[in-house]
Amino acid sequence: MNFFSRVIVDLAYFLHTSDAYQHKKRLVYDLLENNKNHYKQYFDIFMIALIFLSVAILIAEVKHEVPIEIKFFNSYVISIIFFIEYILRFWISSSVCEIIINKSEHDTMLGREFSLFRAIIKVVKAKLIFIFSFRAIIDLLAILPFFHELRLLRLFVLFRVFKLFRYATSFQIFASVLYTKKFEFLILFMYTSIVISVSSILMYVMEANNPASKVNTLFDAVYWSVVTIATVGYGDIIPITIEGRVVAIAVIFAGISLIAFTTSIVVSALNEKLDDIREIKTIEDIRKLKQFYLICGYENVAQEVAKKLKDGVTNIIVLDEDEHRIANAKRDGLVALNYDPGDAQSYKIIGIDLNTQVKAVLCLRESDVENVYTTLTVRSMNKNVNIVSLLMDDSNRKKLDFAGVNEILYPKGLVGMISKELIGRPVAFEVIHALRNDYYGVSVEEILVDDRMSQKLIYVHELNNHKFKIVLLGIFKKDKKRFFFNPIDATMLESGDYLLVIGKSIFIKEFEKHLHKKIKYEK
Amino acid sequence: MKNRVALIFGYNDYALEIAKNITDNESEVYIYSLHSEQDILKNKSNFEIRSFDLSDNWEGINENFDFDNSIAFCVLEDSAENIFLTLSLRSLFSNLHIIALSNNKETANKLQMAGANKVIPLVQTTAEMIAEMMEKPIVKEVFHKILFESGELKITQVKINAKNEYIGKGITELDWNDRHGVIPLSMVHEDMKSEFIYSSKIKHHIIKEGDMFVIVGYENCIADFEKLIGSRYDVNWCNWSR
Repeated sequence: MNFFSRVIVDLAYFLHTSDAYQHKKRLVYDLLENNKNHYKQYFDIFMIALIFLSVAILIAEVKHEVPIEIKFFNSYVISIIFFIEYILRFWISSSVCEIIINKSEHDTMLGREFSLFRAIIKVVKAKLIFIFSFRAIIDLLAILPFFHELRLLRLFVLFRVFKLFRYATSFQIFASVLYTKKFEFLILFMYTSIVISVSSILMYVMEANNPASKVNTLFDAVYWSVVTIATVGYGDIIPITIEGRVVAIAVIFAGISLIAFTTSIVVSALNEKLDDIREIKTIEDIRKLKQFYLICGYENVAQEVAKKLKDGVTNIIVLDEDEHRIANAKRDGLVALNYDPGDAQSYKIIGIDLNTQVKAVLCLRESDVENVYTTLTVRSMNKNVNIVSLLMDDSNRKKLDFAGVNEILYPKGLVGMISKELIGRPVAFEVIHALRNDYYGVSVEEILVDDRMSQKLIYVHELNNHKFKIVLLGIFKKDKKRFFFNPIDATMLESGDYLLVIGKSIFIKEFEKHLHKKIKYEK
Repeated sequence: MKNRVALIFGYNDYALEIAKNITDNESEVYIYSLHSEQDILKNKSNFEIRSFDLSDNWEGINENFDFDNSIAFCVLEDSAENIFLTLSLRSLFSNLHIIALSNNKETANKLQMAGANKVIPLVQTTAEMIAEMMEKPIVKEVFHKILFESGELKITQVKINAKNEYIGKGITELDWNDRHGVIPLSMVHEDMKSEFIYSSKIKHHIIKEGDMFVIVGYENCIADFEKLIGSRYDVNWCNWSR
């Protein structure tokens, strides 16, 4: 890695492990994006107030002389506030440090030279995604009234109204609900167009030559038709001839049916489509996920596995063809979809990328037949994804192996092995069990030695784990696929190694931070 | 003379797996079935299948076995029957060590109330193993080897004997890692409850005769350490109450 790349990666690690920086970023994120944050609602109200104020000033300017201070406030202060908001959103939209660190660790894991150029491309891509998002474009347009000298740009104040969509999620939901009825709305539009076209032409033909009629042009007829069909009826244009009045009766009835039709579409959309909208939203969210565990089948073991994995950083998605089990998964706070995991079509509909998104497929149905079927489906679509499966009957082990499962867990065999340990070394077994499950705040963790760490920490004694009351159980050398227990101080650390450390969880976290920060101190 | 035995109640895959695994540790392993006539016919294992029922008539069994030093595994598939069996065994043999299998938390609680010394929560244990496979694959692999496979790395319990130079010294004064090549994980108290060595309370503990530690190390290091400091301590089930 060249000097410049090293400086960039060091800086990324520094910012990533800097409590002050992360705290500030988190604070901004919570204020702008986290709906659970108490202060976000005040921020939203403040921004909504600014939007309304801005529009009110625009309206007032039409007929009245607005004081220069208010104009200044509208053109500069509000615009600058919106500009700061835009910049903050740009900042929190993606983590540049994380992208660089991930790329660096990824390259380290694969034994490749770190490519700064590729990391920068990834950063730019992430930021462009934000810039070209609909909301970000609206945000940007809302800043344009800053250039109020250009008179046309003043009208961009109205784009500030569109910003309301950002702060009021109900607008977004309502719009998406209506969108699902686009076909019905298209029919409605065609129906209305036909009625307006026919009635306005008829009206023009019947009335245009009558001197007493106010219908002089085709536009007058179209205007009358729209006002009538909308059941508004201003009364400025009325039919004079008998034929014209007959047309008016027909349009009035068409108008009533139009209102009824529109209302029924909106109501039925709200009643029927909300669940679907939720599912679409879930699928959209899943597509955006970088990585997740895919649990196929949500029975007893799956429920417990989900509970255990839920606390980790990786997301969990549950697929099950049974509605009740999906309801259970949702009740347990998981993202769950009622799709058959044994059907390849399910993955296509949801848009799951087995290659990049799925960390592991967990076939946890308590039926070997179902697990074999799901495994074959997944394997037929992707050769590399890691598949873990439950095995209920040992005689089916070969079938699961043949189907392409990477790791098999046979609970009955596990019970046998545990029984043996409980007879031979009960206390030792309990100690390991407690350690594995982080009982009493003591746990065992894996820490990856990345390229950067191995450059600065050459020998085991440089880890200084004793200072953090951490015991180094051993080092797992990935290239040799061997575990070196209790390594001597002179053991060399290499990139890709894993340190297995035991200690209090909070001390381990501090130790891990120290390993990354150590570089900064030495410089 | 009555013998120390391992009794497995219930004839199913769990029973056979347990029997298969514990035969190295226990010289006599018997499987008892509620439906012995059918089970004997379909039995393809090498284990002898005997008959029992859920009544309190244990005379035939009681005459031959030393229940104070024996172990019973309750692995009946029906949870209610399993709890009833555990309760029957406990009411008649107060010192018998009972390990029971449960499918859920509710059954586990009931089995403990019925007097089981140890309950293996099947679902939770399986889930823990899968979660560890996912989140900490290397930890899983290393611990699996230490616990379940016959590799060089071992975990064991050692007891400090009377003739020992370390008695009266602090735990940290004992150069476990560098000099002896072992890593201590926890200290076992007199009531057989273990406490991790990393707790601040234990760090100030002064070593005395009878102290017991759980250590990890290569087999030869553990053997040398045992010679120096004490002896491998086989846990007596009578004293174990976790």
